[in-house]
Amino acid sequence: MVAVRLRELVSSVPRLSLFGLAKNTGKTVALGATVRELNAAGFVVGVTSVGRDGEATDALDENIKKPSIYLPAGSIVATTAALLRKSALSREILAHTDFRTPLGHVVIARVSAAGTVEVAGPSSIADVRVVCDEMTRHGAERVVIDGALNRKAATSPLIADGVILSTGAVLEWDLEAVVRITRDAVDLLRLPEATDSTLRSLAARVRGAMLVTGDGTVPIESEVALAGTPERVKALFDAHPTGHCIIVGGALCESFVENVRQAARSKGMRFVVGNSSKVFLSKRGLAWYRAQGIGIEVLKAARLSAITVNPVSPLSHRFDSRHFRESVAAAIPDVRVFDVVEAC
Amino acid sequence: MPESMIQSVLKTNYGMVKAYADHKNDGIVQVAFTLPVPYARSSSKAALELAKAMGLVRPEVVHCQRVTDGYTYFIVYAHCPHSVDFEALQADTPDVDFMTQAEVEAFSADRIGRLIVVVGASTGTDTHSVGIDAMLNLKGFDGHSGLEAYACFRAYNLGSQVPNGVLVAKAVAVNADAILVSQTVTQQQLHVHNLAELVDIVEAEGIRKDVLLVCGGPRVSDELAKELGFDVGFSKGTYPNHLASFIVTELAARTVEARRDSRLRAAGGW
Repeated sequence: MVAVRLRELVSSVPRLSLFGLAKNTGKTVALGATVRELNAAGFVVGVTSVGRDGEATDALDENIKKPSIYLPAGSIVATTAALLRKSALSREILAHTDFRTPLGHVVIARVSAAGTVEVAGPSSIADVRVVCDEMTRHGAERVVIDGALNRKAATSPLIADGVILSTGAVLEWDLEAVVRITRDAVDLLRLPEATDSTLRSLAARVRGAMLVTGDGTVPIESEVALAGTPERVKALFDAHPTGHCIIVGGALCESFVENVRQAARSKGMRFVVGNSSKVFLSKRGLAWYRAQGIGIEVLKAARLSAITVNPVSPLSHRFDSRHFRESVAAAIPDVRVFDVVEAC
Repeated sequence: MPESMIQSVLKTNYGMVKAYADHKNDGIVQVAFTLPVPYARSSSKAALELAKAMGLVRPEVVHCQRVTDGYTYFIVYAHCPHSVDFEALQADTPDVDFMTQAEVEAFSADRIGRLIVVVGASTGTDTHSVGIDAMLNLKGFDGHSGLEAYACFRAYNLGSQVPNGVLVAKAVAVNADAILVSQTVTQQQLHVHNLAELVDIVEAEGIRKDVLLVCGGPRVSDELAKELGFDVGFSKGTYPNHLASFIVTELAARTVEARRDSRLRAAGGW
């Protein structure tokens, strides 16, 4: 029953990426379930990753066994030739790409018999996008992208049409705290799209960063946005008191948001960023900044397709699965919450 | 020379390998240990029993010596029946032959031919700069000079507790070839979040393909580094020349590919 709903959810998304809030939140299990459901629904699935995943044991703790990535027969995979050889899966190489990882070049292959494999895709998002296009060209009807742990880049709408977010008991001892961390992460993922057409057209062309004032724009060196001291940011606002919006072409770091908040005082400020994978807030949630009059908008919004929960924290504590799912669902509207282990 | 060394590692078909003593794959090993037994006729038997318990076959005590009252030191030769699949291991680790400082400099002059810029820091809340200092500073550690001492590197060490944004800004400002991150002491897997954020900021700034990302520290493994999207991770026992060997070998490989790519494009074969 629950599994069918997961199938329906993932079937409608051409390119799905998986994002785990931490190690052992069940991302790899969620990936396995997604691939299995897509296969059962009759789709040829293509799998790749940002970085590497799928080893037999956890990279942090060897006592924790990790499920490896199981591919049904006929699936397409983009990984390195060496890892394919190691998997000993019977496969047909469809294309050699120019994308080099320290583990060798990424190749695209079709597996002729089902089995498990380690996946290591290209490390840059631009290259992952090309690899996904290639897999589609070679017959993949749905693409699943495994984001390495904690890597927001995998949620970028430049590569994924939908995101499955995995959360779990491992984040905190206290269920309320886990729900809060998850809600903050979802808030960040679902940053609203900027609707102001003037700002959008400015943002599409920006290099580095830019302050929008009452009567024009002022370029901001990217160094100020990444590493500027409070004094430098304050000087910027002293010189341009009518500044009301900042467009950031690259990364929006929390230190910059904080410096701007202090410099702009009670005036409030709007940030426009490419997409939510470029926003780095770890100290305070979006809600706090919103209450201070700081708004963040994106050019392209990410879509959250589903949330999976892992109620078990390996070698530690566990929550009641149903209670956990219901608490997450109550705190985060408009998204389905699954326990992938229970669901499949 | 480094080139032939690298080619030989890449090309030789190693397959399963055993320990080597007199001839290839004879499996002979030498084990040394001390037992809390008196230096007496019967003590060698204890050493042989222990060697058998280790899974060694046909052990011989070739040396035994009194350490102090009640303690004896042994050297045992034996046959080890186990083998390892070196080829499968090569699939997992970026294979780079370690070069000395002089070899790195010669290799770099030959294959890269310009100054290599590296920027390093201990990031986040980590106050310990011991790791990054050992790799970058002139004095290095344990008799191995840091990258500052190499003719082929221009190294910037930003120190400890450096925010990720500051490290990336510096890398952009000096057009760095490599960013080195050290994480020495962390709690609650904080290093994982911190390292992932660095890679994501580099990606958000659009420079991921232009820099080598290297991380290191006692709790960092190559596997973890890869999983987080770094190019390599270095753990305990790393000397500056190991790091230097990786950087120059990887940059040389990328340079070769970039040249080939531009030739292909020029020839319309793209």
